[in-house]
Amino acid sequence: MATPTERLENWDEFEIGAVLKSFDENGNYSRDHSKTYKVADWRVEKPVFNRDICIDCDMCWVACPDSCFIVEEVVNKRGKKQANIVGIDYDHCKGCAVCVEVCPTPIKSLLMFPEFEDNNNALANWPKKEKKDK
Amino acid sequence: MAEKYELKTKEVWDGNTAASHALRQAQVDVVAAYPITPSTPIVQNYSSYLADGYVDGEFVMVESEHSAMSACVGASAAGGRVATATSSQGYALMVEVLYQASGMRLPIVMTVVNRALASPLNIHGDHGDLYLGRDAGWIHLIANNPQEAYDMTLCAFKIAEDEDVRLPVTTNQDGFLVSHTAQIVEPLDDETAYKFVGDYKQKNPMLDFDHPVTYGAQTEEEWHFEHKARQHKALMDSPKVIEKVFAEFKELTGREYKLVESHNMEDAEVAIVAMGSNYETAKIAADEARKAGIKAGVVCPRSFRPFPIKEMAETLKNVKAIAALDRNCPMGTIGALHNEVAGAINAFGQNAIITGYIYGLGGRDTTVAHNLEVFKDLAMNAEAGKRVTPLQKFINLRGPELSFFKVGE
Amino acid sequence: MKNIGNLKEFATTPDRFQGGHRLCPGCAHSIIVREVVNATEDDIVVSTATGCLEVCSSIYPYTSWDVSWLHIGFENAAAGISGAEAMYKALKRKGKLPVDKPAKFLAFGGDGGTYDIGFQSLSGAAERGHDFMYVCLDNEGYMNTGGQRSSATPVGAHTTTSPRGRISYGEKNWKKDLTMIMSHHGCPYVATAVPSKWKDLATKAAKGFDTEGPVFLNTLSPCTTEWKFDPADTIMISDLAVDSCVFPLYEIENGTKLTITYRPKNKIPVRDYLGAQGRFSHLFKKGNEHLIDAWQKHTDEYWEYLQRREEAGV
Ligand SMILES: Cc1ncc(C[n+]2csc(CCOP(=O)(O)OP(=O)(O)O)c2C)c(N)n1
Ligand code: SF4
Ligand code: SF4
Ligand code: SF4
Ligand SMILES: [Mg+2]
Repeated sequence: MATPTERLENWDEFEIGAVLKSFDENGNYSRDHSKTYKVADWRVEKPVFNRDICIDCDMCWVACPDSCFIVEEVVNKRGKKQANIVGIDYDHCKGCAVCVEVCPTPIKSLLMFPEFEDNNNALANWPKKEKKDK
Repeated sequence: MAEKYELKTKEVWDGNTAASHALRQAQVDVVAAYPITPSTPIVQNYSSYLADGYVDGEFVMVESEHSAMSACVGASAAGGRVATATSSQGYALMVEVLYQASGMRLPIVMTVVNRALASPLNIHGDHGDLYLGRDAGWIHLIANNPQEAYDMTLCAFKIAEDEDVRLPVTTNQDGFLVSHTAQIVEPLDDETAYKFVGDYKQKNPMLDFDHPVTYGAQTEEEWHFEHKARQHKALMDSPKVIEKVFAEFKELTGREYKLVESHNMEDAEVAIVAMGSNYETAKIAADEARKAGIKAGVVCPRSFRPFPIKEMAETLKNVKAIAALDRNCPMGTIGALHNEVAGAINAFGQNAIITGYIYGLGGRDTTVAHNLEVFKDLAMNAEAGKRVTPLQKFINLRGPELSFFKVGE
Repeated sequence: MKNIGNLKEFATTPDRFQGGHRLCPGCAHSIIVREVVNATEDDIVVSTATGCLEVCSSIYPYTSWDVSWLHIGFENAAAGISGAEAMYKALKRKGKLPVDKPAKFLAFGGDGGTYDIGFQSLSGAAERGHDFMYVCLDNEGYMNTGGQRSSATPVGAHTTTSPRGRISYGEKNWKKDLTMIMSHHGCPYVATAVPSKWKDLATKAAKGFDTEGPVFLNTLSPCTTEWKFDPADTIMISDLAVDSCVFPLYEIENGTKLTITYRPKNKIPVRDYLGAQGRFSHLFKKGNEHLIDAWQKHTDEYWEYLQRREEAGV
């Protein structure tokens, strides 16, 4: 729960009323926003995303409790906008594995790996045969 | 636009009517309130102003005082002028939210018609509710008659909303003795009154959708102290603004208000300190006492919080004996006003003899004669050069004398 | 009203509730919150009752909200948002806010802040007809304070104040039927929803935002920590709740028109739902079979009742 030391302020420095502002003057996330706070150290295992087999169903996006799926808006063949998954925000992922559970591809496009595992290694060793992963 | 309400230069108003006209004239954006005796007429009057088109804000008739203050907090954080009214049990029900309003630095104005707290149930005036909110981080202004109830309510908006203050303010008047006692009041016309209060200045409004704000965050041990200290400083600094607003008000109306009001204090040797309608009664008693050769004066803090420590000590610097009158039962100690005054004079090296009196609980009559008795006690203490009367006495209490810390005990 | 469309389309919605909050890994609260706030493009003001969502999304000096947000206390989220909504109306009337840009008023409360301590405030705000949507995040207990019972805790559940013990099977009372109670307040729209049925939930939220007057959404929020299941299973548990009809999905318009919005293809036995959670594990011990039977009976009867109401169009 501790605030990073550099973020601590003295009694005469902060906004009155303990008010927090989500954005700075330029409309970017301000330092008051939890976007700038990392919870990565809560994690012991991390999800790794395999772009090659993902079908962009976006189940992981809707189910992630920590808003971690980074999407790119594209226009599909039928001229409709849709979101493609481009990656995982590891600053805010807590490693719950909800995304892995909901991923519907026969070989999951998301799998949990130990935190220290290199992502490229993980992808190189992705299971080939259809089997139930967890 | 709200209709203009035609007022005479002199109206016969009770304190409730006076306060409700002040709310109307301030063109409050949201009033959220719940009725309770003796402040009910404020809520009713406001409803009829609304029904007749004299106000164009929103009036939210909530289901409890807890929700009244909560809706006030929501409305104020949204970004506009907010007011309410209550008494006693309603005030007690609000207490949790009073702390939240002040912690969020929301300039809500609440007119409080002071009334005793149950049990036993009682609808009459004492300062139990005011004392309950003492440490809630609000500014508490005291009005001793209907004119002052009107004046203080108008001033309250200007003080609360000042950018150097941004704190909620209560204006207090005694239940029935002020709230239901009609006297001559000289109101301002609607336009002049509104001009005095001024337009509401927003600060971090939730309704500024381009700049979203979070109100009511959780601060634990590494932040809470700093936030509370900062809020305390705002209260401690607020007398500057209170005095500035009073000065502007004097310019406009000729009516002068000070952080500490006093009567006959220039050469007084003994003084009563009291808040509320008894200040008026004690003034008459002081004049009587002078006829009997007692150099008596009377003092009233205009604001209970912030407590004008220095001004109080200054006003009392030449007296020999002081009686602080608390219209609240301290339940296990000496009265709070007594302790405030004792602390103030002590801090400035003054050594007047100070005693405390508990009076007027649940609307018990406190007359000129009662105040005169107090002056006689004070004269005895002054003459002896030491305390010869008990530290705590009770005024107009039935039964054998009740007092604490008699001399020699 | 925002057209929710398919998930690929919905996922292009810029989020307005962000990561970095301190909810437990796998917590359903934030899944629900995102499904709700992403269901409108209008500006929103949010009030939140004390509880897991409130604490975890506003630990100073950080907020997880991209919209204006207010927390006052445990029992007054509805009163707080009603005040903000009143201010919005007043400032619009006085010409101090643009009239063409709609804004929505939204409140979140846990079951404790909604069924129990905040019920009066919610009832009052609903009765007064404020234009707002109240979303209850029902995890069937006071989880922020360590999993005590509430009036939303169902029979047999172990909580820290209705613990299973040598002579106790846990909670003794059935859950309060708050959705129906809110419908009887004259709310023009009330509905139940679960996070796993994202489209159902988001559509109901969109409808709710679009409805003028008080709206109540009761969402079941599986709590990995206190219901005792693996964090990865949050969505699965949510599905079990609706597939067993323990938490049926329906909506009621204007207090009379009830529509069931999800009908499980294969209604699964209630024991599958109960068995997936540690808080019910003692019900599977010898001597407690009657409780599982009672659960099944209670669930079937309620499901039957909803179907009859729907058929009768009331
Ligand atoms: C007036 C008051 N009483 C009690 C509490 C302590 N308290 C804080 S959160 C909470 C439980 C919250 O439960 P719920 O509303 O179900 O939300 P959850 O945390 O389960 O999401 C309690 C008992 C409080 N903050 N305020
Ligand atoms: S593991 Fe959990 S937090 Fe991390 S991306 Fe997956 S769903 Fe989100
Ligand atoms: S759930 Fe799996 S398949 Fe669907 S978008 Fe996410 S990673 Fe791709
Ligand atoms: S205790 Fe339950 S509801 Fe609270 S944050 Fe954890 S998982 Fe979510
Ligand atoms: Mg709960």
